[in-house]
Amino acid sequence: MLMNGVPVGGLSHPLEWMVKTMPDIAVLIKRVPDTIAKIIVVDGTIDLSGVKWIISPYDEYAIESALQHREATGGSVTAITLGNADCDKTLKDAKALGCDELVRLWQDGWESLDSNGVQSILAGAISDLGSEIVYCGKAAADTNAGSTGPGVAEKLGWASISNVVSVSFEEGGVEALVPVAGGQAKVGINFPCLLTIDKGPNEPRRPNVRGIMMARKAEVNLKGGQAPAATISVISKSTPPAKPPGKTYHGAENVPAVVQALRDEANVI
Amino acid sequence: MDFAESDEQQMIRKLVRDWAEEVLPPTISKRDDEQIAPSKEWKQFCEMGLQGVTIPEEFGGNPVDDISESIIIEELARVDPSLSVMFCVHVGLCAKTIVLHGNQQQKETYLPRLAAGEVGAYSLSEAGAGTDAAAMVCKAKLSEDGSHYLLNGEKMWVTNGEQAEIYILFAKDVDHPEYGVKKHGGTTAFIIERGFEGFEVGKKEDKLGIRSSDTCTLILTDCKVPVENVLKSPGSGFPIAMNALDNSRIGIAAQALGIAQGAFDCALKYSTERETFGVPIQRHQMITAYLADMATRISAARHLVYRASWAKQQHYEHGAPRHSLEASMAKLYAGDTAMWVADLAVQILGGYGYTKDFPVERFFRDAKVTQIYEGTQEVQRLVIVRNLP
Repeated sequence: MLMNGVPVGGLSHPLEWMVKTMPDIAVLIKRVPDTIAKIIVVDGTIDLSGVKWIISPYDEYAIESALQHREATGGSVTAITLGNADCDKTLKDAKALGCDELVRLWQDGWESLDSNGVQSILAGAISDLGSEIVYCGKAAADTNAGSTGPGVAEKLGWASISNVVSVSFEEGGVEALVPVAGGQAKVGINFPCLLTIDKGPNEPRRPNVRGIMMARKAEVNLKGGQAPAATISVISKSTPPAKPPGKTYHGAENVPAVVQALRDEANVI
Repeated sequence: MDFAESDEQQMIRKLVRDWAEEVLPPTISKRDDEQIAPSKEWKQFCEMGLQGVTIPEEFGGNPVDDISESIIIEELARVDPSLSVMFCVHVGLCAKTIVLHGNQQQKETYLPRLAAGEVGAYSLSEAGAGTDAAAMVCKAKLSEDGSHYLLNGEKMWVTNGEQAEIYILFAKDVDHPEYGVKKHGGTTAFIIERGFEGFEVGKKEDKLGIRSSDTCTLILTDCKVPVENVLKSPGSGFPIAMNALDNSRIGIAAQALGIAQGAFDCALKYSTERETFGVPIQRHQMITAYLADMATRISAARHLVYRASWAKQQHYEHGAPRHSLEASMAKLYAGDTAMWVADLAVQILGGYGYTKDFPVERFFRDAKVTQIYEGTQEVQRLVIVRNLP
């Protein structure tokens, strides 16, 4: 066991300390519709049949942090997602970027799980894998809820830090830079822990062709999950109210009217 | 029959497209105006490992399937046809020729260097020997001690001429028994390094299009080439040259496809933004018809290019017949499509298309060369008819 990077307690084997300095890193990724996809609503629900799917953009930053962590300290990175076989492509995209292992979690009716259910399945898998640190995006691009990371940490009984923009890697823990009122704070945290990652100075890397060809051969480990029954249900969905049409003014004589509209209606001056 | 792109083909397309759209546009106009080769861009490009896609892993390469190779060329050409042809010659005419015809020592010497990003080139043509390649007059004479050849003459139209470190170059061995007997007699393929004594890069051509691609002459003055650098054997160069062109023709077809797609994408976008008579010009039936025909011809060209790429892979990996017919059909159709689509793209943009504010005038200039190099359209027709089943 490590405390602040220093081994504590008896070592059962001389190599244990070496081994323990190479953390098992997990990164949670989600398959979402491309953020530039045209969203079509049919009969009150979103028709996703023609949509292109991508890794949720904040999750790309999480992958980047996980890979940098491995590069700094060694260890291995396991990418985890929840979903059907279509999500294997998302995992393979992560493999092409450099993740070592791929795990897809599956449970019948996964699409109707509530946040509590999703968090339970993810937390269970992380426990089984023995991960010591988990990275995930601060929010998924589809639901934008931001509940998964903190929720998983709570289920695991781990400490977590949200909205991390930069991480430095220590033995036995990490230091994370997070925005606080009026500036940034550097927070130290020991393993086991979970970080949700925001867009930061480290742009996600591109894959290279070797990674792409390795991804082709990569195996996805399928694991079943057990989630509690949903306690949250969607009662109704509605589209935002239509935007009122814009107004057009012509000629210098309308300047007072424009100024008044900007002040009274648009509230911008 | 399966027409779907595989997962890795999709990933490679996305990788190259994202990279090309982000990295190339900021420098493209200046490079085109001033004929600056994309050396800096090439260094960045090599970080993705794509320069080694025709090189086996044991020599440091990252092999991909032949359709993926065409997709890379297409996606580069969609933004920058000059960088596209640089890649095409490096991986196809240079690296692939060494993979196919080099001995173990030549592969061990040169393939890791090409895989690491040193630029490759190919030099067959001369001032009086283009389409009629066998008319070359560049000569090679074995030294008295038999350790090296001395090459003399001037080569022309050498893509990557200025940037390359490694050249596949053809000259006639004057001591070969068939020299002067058969028209192509004695033609020998040499691997030449830029630093070889007596090797000099000559004039850089001032061209209509692909102006960021460095097209040069090479001057050989008693250029000393070790005998170990002969590919296969003296006098066996002509089939190597022709075979290499079958392969690179597909690359140029893919380049033409990318040019057509790039010009089309620009015209399509413009047609939705530009309004005349109160509606976007796309709503005018003449423009609608242009766009439909452009999209259809591009799709047809794409099928020919990918099918030729597939036939090439079948030939090398499964002993299927040579892909000369498919390669020439793809090059003929895609080259004409590039020119035709680029012409209409300029037309759709009207006066704006005629200026350097939009890329279609560059695609228009770049397209023309795809009807000329790697065998003119006239030569493709000869090859097609001679290879009809």
